[in-house]
Formats: sequence, structure tokens, C-alpha cells
Amino acid sequence: MKGVGVSLATLGVVVGIGLASILDSRATDVFLEASRPDAQKIPIGVVGFRGLRGADWLGGRIEEVLKADLRRSLIFSLVDLPSIGIKVRELKGDEKGVFRQATDNGVSVLVWGSAATRENGKETEALIDGYVYDGGSNEVISGKRYVGTSGVARLMAHRFADELVFRYTGEQGIARTKIAYVAERKGARELFVMDYDGHDPRQVTADGYLNLMPRWSADRRFLIFTAYRSRNTQDIDMIELATGKRWTLISKRGLNITPALSPDGNFLAFASSEDGNSEIYKQDTRSKAFARLTNNPAGDLSPTWSPTGRDIAFVSDRGGGPQLYIMSADGSNVRRLTYEGDYNAAPAWSPKGNWIAYVCRTPARTFKICLITPDGQKREQVTTGPGLDDSPSWSPDGRHLVFSSIVDGKSHIYMINADGKDMERITFEGAQNSSPTWSPA
Amino acid sequence: MKRGFTICCLTLAVGCLVLASAGCSKKSVQASSGSKSSESARRAAGLDSGGFSDQSVGAGKSFEPEYSTNAPSLSLSGSDLGGGLESAGSAGGDGIGGGDPSNGGGSGTFSGGSAPLSGLDSIKPGTSPSEERLGSGTLLAKVQPGESAARQAEELRQEQLAAASSGLLDVFFDFDSWQINEQGRMALAGDAEWIRGNPGVLVKVEGHCDERGTGAYNLVLGEKRAKAVRNYLVELGVPANQLAVVSYGKERPFCTERVEACYQQNRRGHLVVRKK
Repeated sequence: MKGVGVSLATLGVVVGIGLASILDSRATDVFLEASRPDAQKIPIGVVGFRGLRGADWLGGRIEEVLKADLRRSLIFSLVDLPSIGIKVRELKGDEKGVFRQATDNGVSVLVWGSAATRENGKETEALIDGYVYDGGSNEVISGKRYVGTSGVARLMAHRFADELVFRYTGEQGIARTKIAYVAERKGARELFVMDYDGHDPRQVTADGYLNLMPRWSADRRFLIFTAYRSRNTQDIDMIELATGKRWTLISKRGLNITPALSPDGNFLAFASSEDGNSEIYKQDTRSKAFARLTNNPAGDLSPTWSPTGRDIAFVSDRGGGPQLYIMSADGSNVRRLTYEGDYNAAPAWSPKGNWIAYVCRTPARTFKICLITPDGQKREQVTTGPGLDDSPSWSPDGRHLVFSSIVDGKSHIYMINADGKDMERITFEGAQNSSPTWSPA
Repeated sequence: MKRGFTICCLTLAVGCLVLASAGCSKKSVQASSGSKSSESARRAAGLDSGGFSDQSVGAGKSFEPEYSTNAPSLSLSGSDLGGGLESAGSAGGDGIGGGDPSNGGGSGTFSGGSAPLSGLDSIKPGTSPSEERLGSGTLLAKVQPGESAARQAEELRQEQLAAASSGLLDVFFDFDSWQINEQGRMALAGDAEWIRGNPGVLVKVEGHCDERGTGAYNLVLGEKRAKAVRNYLVELGVPANQLAVVSYGKERPFCTERVEACYQQNRRGHLVVRKK
């Protein structure tokens, strides 16, 4: 009897130690999702999209867009099918031999389909069939048929990619997300929206002056941004993308900049200099009541909400140069977050809450993108090279950042994994593209 | 009773919207007429979440900023999550999304680019998956530069001309600094004399920065520079009501090369003249 008691106690201690070590490892292991090694990705093979009745161009485009989306998902790793003896674009239906060859070579998922066009009135319609073979269940598990104008062919591939991400992770993919940004048009700065991969840029404002620093509403219907009304004052405006209708939300005296909606949309935080120097305020978006959150003779700006809405990170030069600080959403409990370097600004809190991306000045006096944990314990530099980087913004899956970088006087927009890999330039038109901001999923 | 009233008002509002948009060329939303489209037109006009009287008026001049503060609700509880840019397309199927409403025999779904995923279909070998019809890719109003764009450009040109002919001198700053140096104080002494001698003019002090640093912080820095210049002019006896300040941060540089000489040109307090 006594022996049982002792062994139960021993068991308790062992379990306790086991639990403690699990908790401990979670606490110390900073979770950087983008660093998921290739070995943990799902090997996927894209056999191709056979063009029917001369629609090879369409099949090729779908395949290209789908592969790029799957690669950027960081969920899948693309398998080079010819290297394991599978001919691409050959699969017509349920071909057991190809499936066996794929699974024998460790491919978990095969995707293929067909592409066709048809005339529907004045427009050419695209029809895409996509099929998915799952190695685990050894079955063709699912499929999808998309129909639409040929102008939305890329969108079909994006949707198919996001369906695959959802099927295998339960997460919303990013292939259908958008990026809002600022571009130069006729000497003015206007807002634009493009696909997350830089395609299909569309102009949103055309008032001929300065429209800056857009932010999305949670439902993606609106952009909130800084606008110069009559060139002499800055206001914070909102535009409805579907209609172009525009409202002024904030027009205090002086600067009205860096708007940031709380995650639940109930508060709009922003910086204004109505009381003499730039301070952070928040407005209740329903009652319209204002609350001043900072009270300091230095400049306070660039609020960014934690995903819980409980905290706000911001920039202040109260200690000399600009540095990051964190406060509670009511303005209390202010603490300094960054100490390394003499210039840290433009914070963006990650969607999962574990990182804050920002612009850091390096010892080489260039401006790069850095990450810091909200407790300040861990700091990483994400970008390298000579470019002057600005305005980091997270993808909704928290695995990527988009930012602008000035190289040789030309500002363009780039995407990068949060671990610093796979930097990709995504704007090519014009010379002044800046202030990118990633839409919610 | 209340519901009937709402429907009646909505019909009126949609009517107003159609009338208003007919009179303002192609730049506003292409609201379709007909009862079937009222749902999508209603959504596109944002009538779901805001009061509709001011919105139906505003819809006819969508690209002239209207500066109403009566904006639609932004809180999650009051908006339709998941619809996003294509909510009108997936809801109505005609009009706004630009897509073909005749979808595949009722078995398919109609969805735009950011509409929620409808899921992969489970299929048996040899059968076809069901159809998902996509509307136009991105639900965005077409923009055309309005009159304000041309007006802005013209006003800008006039300001530059007036500033050039007045002989006002600018002030230049060190990196991340808003201290006025000796050369700047000499320039402003002359500027103050000219402004005091021209009580009919309004002088706008623009704060500018070089391309280094973040856009947002440079807006604050630019304002500090502009205010430093204004305050010094006031010290020299210029009436404060003749002076206005605005910060352009690094958004309107005077030159764009990546050398210190160019950066120096961009770190300035620029004085422009506006007729009072």
C-alpha cells in the first residue's frame, strides 16, 4: 500500500517535470512560423492544367499562378515531377500508375486539371477544372470547377490554392488577399490596391494631392488614410472601395496621421498635433468620443494594436531619437520596448501577437526591417542590403511581411518571409511605390 | 410597420442613387436599376450600416471628397465579415460585381475574389465537380481624376510662382533636427521684413525631410521644422495670423538623388505665399 503511494508520488513528480519542460520549451522557443523547415512542409506535385481546344495559354497561366501561390503559402513544398519520372500535363483522369509513382517518391498531394475557353455573348469565358489526389487516403479526394471571364483566370488559381491550404491546414490562405499602397501619379500620391502578388494594380483615389498611409478595415470594404485637404491640413479620411465614396473621420487642427483601427473596429487610434505636438488619441467609432492616450512634450505617433486589442505599440522620441514603446489601450502602463540603435519606428504588431515588425537603423546607418518580441527579449533583423526600408506590414497568416524599399532613388514594394528568406519585388511600374499594407484574409 | 417604412425608404434611396449617378458620368458606381439589384446597390452604397439620407445624396459625387463625418460603422458587429471587396457580387450576382448572373443551373455558387471559400467538392472518379462562378476580380469603383486634381495642381503652381517672385528664402536643417542655424536665422530676418511689409499676404511654412527614416516619423519631424520657422518669424515681429504651417514629411522632395547634397536640399522649411 505504501509502495503504491510512493510510486504515485514519483509518477506525479515525473509528470510534473515533463509538463514543466514542455511549458518551458514553449516559453523559451520563440515561434517563428516562417522558419518551418522544408521537411515539415507537405510535398505537392502540380501535374499541370491541360489546355482543351487551344487553351494551352490558359492552362499554363493557371499552373504558373498556382505554383507560385503554393510556394508562398509556406505550407507546401513543390516537387519537381519530371525528376521522379512523372510527365507533366499528361494526366487525364484517374491514373493509378502515376499516383503510385508519386506516393513511392514521397509526394503527398497531386494536383492537375484542365483549362478551356468558350464564347459567352461578347465575352470569352474561362473554365478551369482542378482535381486533388491525396496520397494518405490514396484517392482523388476532391475537385473544383471555376467559370468566369478570362480576366479572372489568376483569381481562379488563387482560389484553388487557398482551397488547398484550407483543406490541409484549416487556415485561410493569403492567395486572395490584397495589398493597398501609395503610388506617384502626376506628381501626386494616390492610393492603389493590387493582388498580394503585385498583379492587377487599381487606382483608388484621384484627388491630385497627397494620400498617405492606408489601413484596411477588418471587412476589407474600406481604407482609412491620411489625406491633405486643400493641401494645407491633414485629415484622416475613409474611402469605400466598391463605390469610391469618401468620408473625413478626423480633422483636428494640425497633423492627423497614422490611423490604426482596433481589431474589433470599435476604436480608431491615430496621431494628431492639435495640442501642439504629436500625441496619440483614440476615437470610439460608434459614440465618436475622443480619448487622449499620450501626454508628453515629445512626438508620439504610429500606434499599432495588439491582436487582442489590449495593448498599443507606438513611436515616441521622448528619449531623444524615435523608439518603440508599448502602452495599455487606455494609455496607462507605458514602457519602452527598443533600446538597440538610435532610430526605431513604424511598428506593426503581428496577427498572432508574437512579434512586432519595425524599421530599425543599423550600425551601417541604413534603415532595415527588424522584429522584436513584445517582451523585448528577442530581436531579429529581417532585411539586409543597401535599400532604405519603410512601412512593414504583416500578411494575415503572419508568415510574410510586405514593405517598401528605396534603391537608387526608386521606391518599390517587396515581400519577404518573416525569417528573412525569399525576398520578392512585387511592384514594377513607376518609381514611387510606398506604404504597403496587407489586407485581412 | 417599421420594416415597411425601411423598404420604402430604401427604394427611394436607390432611386435617388440611380438618378444621381446618371448625372455624373461614369465615375460613380454603376448601380443597376430594377428591383433585383436593390440588395446589391444597397450594399454598395453602404446603406447597411449608416444612415441613408446623406449617403444617397453623396453617391452622385463620389470622387469629390464630401467630408461628411457620418461614416458607416467600422466595428465588427456592425459589418458583414467575409464578404469584403466582393460582398456585393456574392450577394446579388448582378450589377456591381460585373459578373454574369446566369450561373450554372443553380448548382454552382457565385463568388468574387475575396468571397469566402466554398470548399473543395468531394467527387467520385469519373464525375465532374460542381461549378463555382467568379464575378469580376476586384470590386473597385473606377476612378477618374476629378476637378479637384486639376485645381490642386494649379494652386500648387500659383504658390510656387508667388514664392519665387517674393524672394523669400528657405531654411535648411541637419538630419533629424529642427534647430535653425545661423544661416537660417539670417534668411528668416529678411523673410520677416518682407512679410511685415506685405500685410495682405499669408505665408505658408512647409516642413520637408530627406528620404531617410520612416514616412510617418518624417511627417512629425517636418511639422517640428515648420513650427520652428513659424515661431522664429513670430519672434521677429511677424503677426501669427499671417503664418500657417504644414508638414510634407518626405513626400514632396525637391530632389531625389541619394547624396548628402540632395538630402540637404530636402531638409528644409520652405516658405510659399498665398493671397489672403
